[in-house]
Amino acid sequence: MTAIALTQSPTRTPGALQRVVNVVKLHFANPYTVLINPWIILIGIFLVNLAIWAIIMSQVTDPADRADVTEGFSYSGSSLFIFVYMMIVAIQAMNQTFSFALGMSVTRRDYYLGSALTFVLLSAVFAVGMAVLAAIEEATSGWGVGGRMFTSIYFGDGPWFERLAFVFLAMLFFFFVGAVAATVFVRWKALGLTVLLGLLGLITLAFVALVTFTRSWGSVGEWFATTGFLGSALWSLVISAVAGVAGFFILRRATPRG
Amino acid sequence: MTTIAEATGLSKHFGAVRAVDDVTFALEEDRIHGLLGRNGAGKSTLMQLLTGQEFATSGSVRVFGASPAENASVLRNVCFIKESQRYPDDWKPKHVFRSTPWFFEHWDAEFAEQLIDEFRLPLGRPIKKLSRGQLSSIGVIVGLASRAPLTFFDEPYLGLDAVARQLFYDRLLADYAEHPRTVVLSTHLIDEVSNLLEHVFVIDQGRLLVDSSAEDLRSSATTVVGKANTVDEFVGGREVLHRDALGGLASVTVAGLDDAERRAAAAAGLELAPVSLQQLVVRITGTAQKEFEVSA
Repeated sequence: MTAIALTQSPTRTPGALQRVVNVVKLHFANPYTVLINPWIILIGIFLVNLAIWAIIMSQVTDPADRADVTEGFSYSGSSLFIFVYMMIVAIQAMNQTFSFALGMSVTRRDYYLGSALTFVLLSAVFAVGMAVLAAIEEATSGWGVGGRMFTSIYFGDGPWFERLAFVFLAMLFFFFVGAVAATVFVRWKALGLTVLLGLLGLITLAFVALVTFTRSWGSVGEWFATTGFLGSALWSLVISAVAGVAGFFILRRATPRG
Repeated sequence: MTTIAEATGLSKHFGAVRAVDDVTFALEEDRIHGLLGRNGAGKSTLMQLLTGQEFATSGSVRVFGASPAENASVLRNVCFIKESQRYPDDWKPKHVFRSTPWFFEHWDAEFAEQLIDEFRLPLGRPIKKLSRGQLSSIGVIVGLASRAPLTFFDEPYLGLDAVARQLFYDRLLADYAEHPRTVVLSTHLIDEVSNLLEHVFVIDQGRLLVDSSAEDLRSSATTVVGKANTVDEFVGGREVLHRDALGGLASVTVAGLDDAERRAAAAAGLELAPVSLQQLVVRITGTAQKEFEVSA
């Protein structure tokens, strides 16, 4: 029968790590969507908030009232959008680059690991960026007008490093939930995503039914109270990890189709 | 002759559709192969199987001695340019050429720049705003400048004008001469590339119909031209592939002739003309079309 040539190229074979890093570079080849655009939107929302804080505070003179208003500002959900946005970034990034990466002879394994590393890096960048903004917010007593966006109550009331950890964990959660949704979409298209959302809805419904019928809402609340703010966030790592691993296996058999 | 890639009993079924059906063949090193066939014949699926983008239903694929699926050490030597290649929507061509050197170790940036110039590709225009031809030229440039030891071009010319297509053929041939590599070119513009091809595969409805050197395939049929009665006398009981008549003249295509037959034809005052690759492929794969026409 025919002989098979094991032609070895004289050049160095890129190692496994280098191949994964190349996929990270691919995601940042055009940094606009994953890096620049989210910051532009975040800063835009911040500026609008700043204007609103200034207008409101211009009408409040009593120091006690001002403290009340600042307390009220801490319930701002303005910076929560960034998490949902990151989920969309993850879905977009994978959907857009998967076919291209395979066209560049990248294996699904290297592509997924590189994408996962990209999402961890982005989580870190945004967590640190928001921690810096939170520090400035505290140091300037709310940008000089008692505003609160990056120290909002939803990020916990602990020290800066707890808030940093919380934002990082939340970013990871949304990125990897987005990643698993993206792999489902890449492999099974819209039908797959619809089935996934339907399943998640059913699971949530089953959980609610279970807790309600066993009259356990009290214990659920207690669990959150005892686990604490950061503790609950740490538990999200379990879901992030499950999503991350599931995404890997879903993508391993995905094929790029128009 | 060294085999670079081979398929054995390879099949890919999508439900009831047999996109690739029990195909066995080998690709030889440093040769330009033509993969010819009609739309939907299974050309793209076959190439997707060879590059690990699709998973086979049955049979095996070996590229550089191993299965290409999820095999980085095989794929690093493979470049697959397809007409339907998607690029990230928010990209410009410059982002493509920024990333290609990361994935193709033989990437020649200078050659790429020269090609970008020759194809007049606007590097800074958003991908979404490029014309079909400009989009195709990105693929052509990547395929040529990547210098992968095994390069697949799946109908890479869509939307390219005649000048750009000729440029592609010229550059491919010149660069292939300088940097020999194995090329598979799938196309249905057969006449345009027939001088490039050294080996021809014809696939139809998932099945491999022809696996032959281009020369053997061309000499597998000859057209005999001359006075109608002389031609008919010469042709006799041979299988006639094609027949044209005009007044007292006839042009009949018959299966390949040996040297003695050629001499006999010349002695009878008949002219022998080669049959183009395109005519042959149309003849080989046109049966289904004819049946359709008859029943309609």
